[in-house]
Amino acid sequence: MTKILLAVLALVAAPILGALITGVDRRITAWLQSRYGPPILQPIYDVLKLLGKQPMLVNTWQALCAYVYLVGAALSVVLLFTGSDLLLIFFVLTIGAVFLVMGALASPSPYSQIGGQRELLQMLAYEPLLILVFASIAMVTGSFKVSAVFELSRPMLYDLPLMFIVLGYALTIKLRKSPFDISASAHAHQELVRGVYTEYSGPYLAMIEIAHWYEVILVLGICALFWSTSFVGMIVLVALTYMAEIIVDNVTARLTWRVMLKSAVGMGLVLTVVNLLWLYAQ
Amino acid sequence: MLDTLVFVTVLLPFLVAAVLLVLREQNVRKVILVATAGVLILASLAMLRGGAFIMSPAPLWGSLVTLGDFLILGVVLLVGLKRKNQIIVWLTVAQIVGLIWFDFFMIKDHGATPAFFADDLSLVMVLVVSIVGSLIAVYGIGYMKEHEEHLHLTTSKQPQFFFFIVLFLGAMNGLVLANNMLWMYFFWECTTLCSFMLIGHDDTEIARKNAERALWMNVLGGTAFLFGVMLLYKVTGTLSLQEILARGPEFAVAGGAILVPMFLLVFAGMTKAAQAPFQSWLTGAMVAPTPVSALLHSSTMVKAGVYIIVRLAPIYAGTYFSNFVALFGGFVFLATACLAAGQSNGKKILAYSTISNLALIIACAGINTPAAITAAILLILFHAISKALMFLCVGAIEQKIGSRDIEDMRGLFARMPRTALVAVIGILTMMLPPFGMLMAKWMAIESAHGQFLLMIMLALGSGVTVLFWCRWAGLMLATPFAKAAPEAQDSTIRGPLYLLAGLAVVLSFFSPLVYNGLVAPVVTMYYKTAPYVLRFGNFESSTGVFLVYPLFILLGLGFFFALRQTRKITAAQAVGPYMCGEQTSVDGKPGFLGPLGQNVTAVSGNYYLEQFFGEAMLSKWINVIALAVLVIMLFGGAL
Repeated sequence: MTKILLAVLALVAAPILGALITGVDRRITAWLQSRYGPPILQPIYDVLKLLGKQPMLVNTWQALCAYVYLVGAALSVVLLFTGSDLLLIFFVLTIGAVFLVMGALASPSPYSQIGGQRELLQMLAYEPLLILVFASIAMVTGSFKVSAVFELSRPMLYDLPLMFIVLGYALTIKLRKSPFDISASAHAHQELVRGVYTEYSGPYLAMIEIAHWYEVILVLGICALFWSTSFVGMIVLVALTYMAEIIVDNVTARLTWRVMLKSAVGMGLVLTVVNLLWLYAQ
Repeated sequence: MLDTLVFVTVLLPFLVAAVLLVLREQNVRKVILVATAGVLILASLAMLRGGAFIMSPAPLWGSLVTLGDFLILGVVLLVGLKRKNQIIVWLTVAQIVGLIWFDFFMIKDHGATPAFFADDLSLVMVLVVSIVGSLIAVYGIGYMKEHEEHLHLTTSKQPQFFFFIVLFLGAMNGLVLANNMLWMYFFWECTTLCSFMLIGHDDTEIARKNAERALWMNVLGGTAFLFGVMLLYKVTGTLSLQEILARGPEFAVAGGAILVPMFLLVFAGMTKAAQAPFQSWLTGAMVAPTPVSALLHSSTMVKAGVYIIVRLAPIYAGTYFSNFVALFGGFVFLATACLAAGQSNGKKILAYSTISNLALIIACAGINTPAAITAAILLILFHAISKALMFLCVGAIEQKIGSRDIEDMRGLFARMPRTALVAVIGILTMMLPPFGMLMAKWMAIESAHGQFLLMIMLALGSGVTVLFWCRWAGLMLATPFAKAAPEAQDSTIRGPLYLLAGLAVVLSFFSPLVYNGLVAPVVTMYYKTAPYVLRFGNFESSTGVFLVYPLFILLGLGFFFALRQTRKITAAQAVGPYMCGEQTSVDGKPGFLGPLGQNVTAVSGNYYLEQFFGEAMLSKWINVIALAVLVIMLFGGAL
């Protein structure tokens, strides 16, 4: 019964929370850039406006892909909130990511094509990192289940400090933040044509926005697992991490996909090995 | 009843093959092939209902098998002499000498060992061979007709082609049902010969060269197999696979002595499964007609390789050797996934992804826990279906568009809507939940989490896998908004495509039943514990949980709803692809408005990441590392 309640909560609260976080993100970014910035509810206004527009499409696959992306993202958050299996959550998240790219590739437009290709490179960079993070969590708790994390007596961050940095790397890529906002940056100073999002418009773009909010909550939720012992600790850890992401986003310029791939995989592997050796030594 | 079933699955294909060889009437051949496929499928299902068994046919058959051994070796020797291939000649001579000594001097009582035995693993393999293999044979009818029209042959070579295809199915069924290791050796050599003949079928320069390479690599494996069996007999005193498996723990305690034959047999399996450094024979086999590739990759040949490795896993469980097998598998999984990502040739992508998936199966056998073995068996099953489907799709596409390059499949949906859709389904069943392949991969990764080097390789490899599948699926759909024209297709081609696509989805849905009925019993038999508890059809263990039905229902509902929404979209809502406001369109091909108002067609291509995944550069290093791991496996494992 509690699981069903949690699932409903995840389904309803996650996108709202995600939208608010995005709103706050835009305000802080504006503040860092000495602008006034939009109201915090602006992302919600944007999406409501998009939802009211008439759908225009290059072909029907895009509509299908937008829906499935949304379903995949929402389902992965539901699985996280109900304490399911981390690796399973990751694979469900992949469904969404795959369909987003398939939708982009389904249009012959070169902008959308390149966006799709770049998104694939981003996936290639962050997917192994996330699997490694989950595997190391499993090494600490002895299980891939999210619920097992909450049975720990001390925060996971003590055991896996370097893995948290690896997660941060994946987070930067997944949240489409500089320096790795390679496939679809939200900022005008980086991109005018939005890569993988190019061909989505109106209600379908709105759906993709909402799906992204779900994903924001998902990755932040995974961050929160690293301080599972206290609710306040979780909030503080997530807030600090997100603040760090915003600052990194604003002080760096976009790097090429080559740098992203090499540094993500290279750094990720080194940090993982060091952290796990340390774990073994304990 | 049992006699009949073994007869139908193993011997009948041999007889039908002989009939097909002399038969030149096309329509009769079609009827015979379809009927044989039906009979094989029904017999395999009946055998499944019957469950485990042991069977010894009349002693006469044993002599025939011995005769067959020498016949095959003789043919291989002749081929070696004709092609002046020293490796083939000497390895075959070694086998002949070894076999004479083994057969006539070493073995004490012939005929004491039952020839056949089946547990659930064998039955799963029989299902794979008989159902997937038969569907491929049926597909071959329509395919070969068109294939020969393209080649402008004066006399059809189809009798010979279908002779070896059907023979192959019988040999595979014999191999997976064999209990007497010498019988298994006979069928093992049979598959080597069939694959050699089929790869060289078109008799072009390149086909001959690649067939020869496949032959020497597999003869190497065959030699290892024979000497492995001889050593195994020396150590255990029996040829009965069942007895060896039953007494496995007792040999494992003895340590080193059993590991040398184990190494030889596992090595033979690796050559047959085209693992690095032997991957080139399977990628070279792509020159053969597509049904051959499909057969080699899904239900025969390479599956024989992983079958023997998984089959013997309980005997080497808990040894260092097993760890090395896991590491070897993990490495090849990652390395060949990278090679696949660097390709634009559709058949090569499929070939490398096959090797990659087989390596994952081998890694699972090496991890050697109940969960990992479950993953291995499920991978064999689901990979066979999806991979056969993909090959048959590529074959149909190639015959229509004249290319197997995925770049040429851009917008395929407009030209071949049904085949493109089936291919997309095939790809999705390869890489996404809730389908069986992905579930097995989930089991594999979860059971590897204690060994972090292996874990890292699996994590990287599975990221690369998503890359090459996803872009292929996406670009086939890259069409402007248009009603696609219905496509004409031979029913012997369309039938297998639809059946395999349906099977891939439906069997995934029933994966809890498959697990309960076919996988759990055999894993429990050899490992004493069942890896997963099924609750409401969801897989649960202490390390994780996989929700089959919630995922199927929720994703299915989402998919269904999305599909209904897309039906409502009208042509009035269609726009051209975004071209910065400079779009033109000629013959439905979108492009830019260039200087002087000329049309510049928009062209895009995939990133193949040559500097990371280039075949020429990577292959060399992969072979060196794989060879090194193999050597360490032999010495390190035996210690």
